[in-house]
Amino acid sequence: MEIELTINDESTTVAVESDDDLATVLRRNGYTGVKCGCDSGVCGASKVFVDGEVKMACGVDAQNVDDSEIETIEALGTQDDLHPIQEAFVDHFAVQCGFCIPGMIIEAKSLLANNPDPTEAEVRQAIDDNLCRCTGYQKSVDAILDAADRMHGDRSVAADGGSRIDSCRPGDAARDGDSDE
Amino acid sequence: MSDDTNDPQPDGGTASKPTSEEPPEFEEHPLEWDEPENNNKAPDERKSVSQPAEKFDDRKLVTGQAKYTADYEERFPDLAHAAVVRSEVPHGRVTAVDTTEAEALDGVYAVLTPWSDAVPDAKYTSAGQSYPEPSPWDMNVLNKHVRYIGDPIAAVAAEDASTAAAAADAIEVEYEEYDHVVDPEEAFDGDAPQLFADDEVENKIVGHDYSRNRMSNIEGEIGDVEAALEREDVHVHETEWETIRQSHAQIEKHTSLAYTDEDDRKVLITSTQVPNHTRRQLAHLFDIPIRDIRVKKPRVGGGFGGKQAMVVEPIPLALSLAADRPVMYEASRDEEFYAMRSRHPMKVRARTAVTDDGTIEAIDLYALSNTGAYGSHGMTVAGNVGSKPMPLYSKVPNARFEADIIHTNTPQTGAMRGYGAPQGTLALEGHLDEVARDLDFDPIEFRRQHYMEVGDLDEIAGMMGGEGAERRIRSCGLDECIERGKEAIGWDDLEQPPEPHRHRGIGMALSAQGTGVAGDELGAAQIMMNEDGSFHLQVGGVDIGTGADTAFIQIAAEVLGCDEDDIIVKSSDTDNTPFDYGAYASSTTYISGMAVKKAAEDAKERILEWASRMLDEPAENLETRDGEVYSEESGEAVTLEDVGYESVYGHDDREHILGKGTHSTEESPPPFAAQFVDVTVDEQTGEFEVNQLVVAVDCGVAINPGMAEGQVEGANHMSFEMAVSEGITVDEQGRAEVSDFDEYGLPSATETPPIESLLVETHEPTGPFGAKSVAEVPTNTVPPALSNAIREAVGVRINEMPVTAEKIKAALDQK
Ligand code: FES
Ligand code: FES
Repeated sequence: MEIELTINDESTTVAVESDDDLATVLRRNGYTGVKCGCDSGVCGASKVFVDGEVKMACGVDAQNVDDSEIETIEALGTQDDLHPIQEAFVDHFAVQCGFCIPGMIIEAKSLLANNPDPTEAEVRQAIDDNLCRCTGYQKSVDAILDAADRMHGDRSVAADGGSRIDSCRPGDAARDGDSDE
Repeated sequence: MSDDTNDPQPDGGTASKPTSEEPPEFEEHPLEWDEPENNNKAPDERKSVSQPAEKFDDRKLVTGQAKYTADYEERFPDLAHAAVVRSEVPHGRVTAVDTTEAEALDGVYAVLTPWSDAVPDAKYTSAGQSYPEPSPWDMNVLNKHVRYIGDPIAAVAAEDASTAAAAADAIEVEYEEYDHVVDPEEAFDGDAPQLFADDEVENKIVGHDYSRNRMSNIEGEIGDVEAALEREDVHVHETEWETIRQSHAQIEKHTSLAYTDEDDRKVLITSTQVPNHTRRQLAHLFDIPIRDIRVKKPRVGGGFGGKQAMVVEPIPLALSLAADRPVMYEASRDEEFYAMRSRHPMKVRARTAVTDDGTIEAIDLYALSNTGAYGSHGMTVAGNVGSKPMPLYSKVPNARFEADIIHTNTPQTGAMRGYGAPQGTLALEGHLDEVARDLDFDPIEFRRQHYMEVGDLDEIAGMMGGEGAERRIRSCGLDECIERGKEAIGWDDLEQPPEPHRHRGIGMALSAQGTGVAGDELGAAQIMMNEDGSFHLQVGGVDIGTGADTAFIQIAAEVLGCDEDDIIVKSSDTDNTPFDYGAYASSTTYISGMAVKKAAEDAKERILEWASRMLDEPAENLETRDGEVYSEESGEAVTLEDVGYESVYGHDDREHILGKGTHSTEESPPPFAAQFVDVTVDEQTGEFEVNQLVVAVDCGVAINPGMAEGQVEGANHMSFEMAVSEGITVDEQGRAEVSDFDEYGLPSATETPPIESLLVETHEPTGPFGAKSVAEVPTNTVPPALSNAIREAVGVRINEMPVTAEKIKAALDQK
């Protein structure tokens, strides 16, 4: 059958098999920023917005979302003009293999829309079902807290994160230590 | 263009293989390393190295544009999908496979069984190691003799994933069932069912005894441990430790896509850590010349050792040959847990002989490793149980290590981050802590009396054979790791919770790893200059999400004096990049990074030569910086772009500036870590809460501190998981009882304590710009530090991972 979807503000008609989930349909149509890590709706890699709500696309029956509005990671920033959340992830080295990251950024966007100034515990709670094997979450949490500042706080938002940053120089501590001697 | 004359780097090969001109034997491991001046830059002289340069693929990753293997699907309109039929019995022989129904399904292109022509008969090991592999050839692509629930028997290619799954379901397998064994002690002892007949294994490994299901036995000793244990003036302590079957749980599943290209070459786009080893192994299996296979690694969604193996690649390749179209195989998450790879579960016994004044006279470790149904990585992982942690205490005169590696009818094990060191570190660091407490020594001071220092000749690292592994310690930041770690965790001013039944304690543990496999690694790189002054860096080194490609760019940019953005990196495609052993053993920055440095220096020499002509100044006066070649003497400069154009379009003479570098070495300097764990335990219930993890790591010079910290935190998270979650449990049939992340218990963001990572900078003269490795050493330390913290808090000792409230409660009840 065919269903009507608005994906990232563009209306489109897509073909859907009876057992297709939304992640499969989106990926088949080129939205490969939607990642699949678990097949069972528990890892969070496939998160997208469905009518404004975050859903794990692998757990959504495609036939049930006829006429819905979908937003995927592809709707956020571009490589030249990152969304502030994406920029914060880059600047904080919160990305390693990157496989979990689109889903995590979608969840972070939802969190910051509803709670512009979250605490660390609230951030951890929000991404509790975004499993990441690479990072230990520390830098992702820091990035989301910083993104909150960038979006709503006193800090201006650069359109482009630039290739160098000065806000996070962990090596400095060691070097300062050296020069103290 | 000889590396020997142009390259100021030491060749690294002098350590244990002296040539005739080399100095006599007593200088085999000289402390003074003949290090080129440019390798040891003061922090303020470094332009690219040890700066937080942006990870080069990050913008692609955060925008969802990066391509992992499965994302290549859209480029192959006629792509078929694979599904695999796996053994449902723990041990047996496949007597018949009925594929009629599967073949009759619409949209099925190929069905393969062990008897199909397209399926190779050859034995192999899936371990992605050097050649000849130090692992037995004991597997087939599809198996008639099945040895665990999950062994592949048949495979299908179909037009889509659900048709493939339906076809796989329709295949009927008949077995003759054999007795099975899942407990390694039972398998080793007595009359257990035998997994391998002697003639079912090629490339057998030292100490094998298949009649007792032993794949290998290894041992090594320095001094005389038994004599020391029998001395009258020593206390002998003995403890036993047990670790879990841990899953790699990388979020991207094993995925591999195979096709034949327009030049009739077999191409694999695959999520691997070892492209060159995979190419060699496929050539062996399929009897295709190495040159006719191309292995290409796109972005990889995590590996952690699980992809240091040819786990899935032969199946899509065989199917694509049979179906004559591209085939992709993506393991399911369920298969990840029962049919891919895991960490070897082990029991490790530690014994020491200690005198009244706290001198350790002898350390003895014995490991019993459960390698599961096949032997991949079994011997080498077990070797590291001893050879990674024991050298920490290089001042101990007598040391011994032995391991038995045993087959059981359980899922396959393999390489995993830490590679045996986590198991050995738990045993050694837990044991020493207990001994210190028993004899009333301060656990840190007790360790300090014996641990490594700069200048020590580490003989323990060499005791497992391979004389090359003996080494001189040239950089060691253990003291600083401990001091900074203590401060960060608040060691000296710990506040107890108000409730009298809750107790807080801090435990600590040390760790050492290696950097690459001494004498058994190779990395290569080439760099070519474009006319606009930019560079293409082609490197065999494999970035599986660690940021290695970015580190390579930083190293090259530091040498060439250009911006990181002016270097395009192309890595890990066997057609287009030089040879590399792959991403394992913490070797990438050290080995492949040194190859990049050499390649960049080679190119730089040509650049200076051209600039010297253009500026009419001797090359010795010239240096590169900020995209220019300038002269200190005259103050004149030309841009790299000018050099680029001049070199290829010049009037009189032309040259494409190309640099090459290859690196291998007998050195494997250890990075160090000090772990601190702050825990609160409820003595009424045994419930505990880990308040914070602090880990300080000496990785030499961190090429990119932000990325290095990320590696440390991720490794520590994995180590935390090893301490607190069950791992992959198996039932009496050896069946994995875990099929998804919820059941596996990968700690989530709320279940993970805050992790503070501290980078302690030292300078390792044998590494590129002073770098050692960073990614593995913090994987080893949480289990012992947590066990030690609980001991500190409530006085009981948990020797068996995972640490649970029940175990603490039971121990408290017994007290
Ligand atoms: S793939 Fe959808 S949540 Fe894991
Ligand atoms: S960055 Fe690799 S899984 Fe999160």
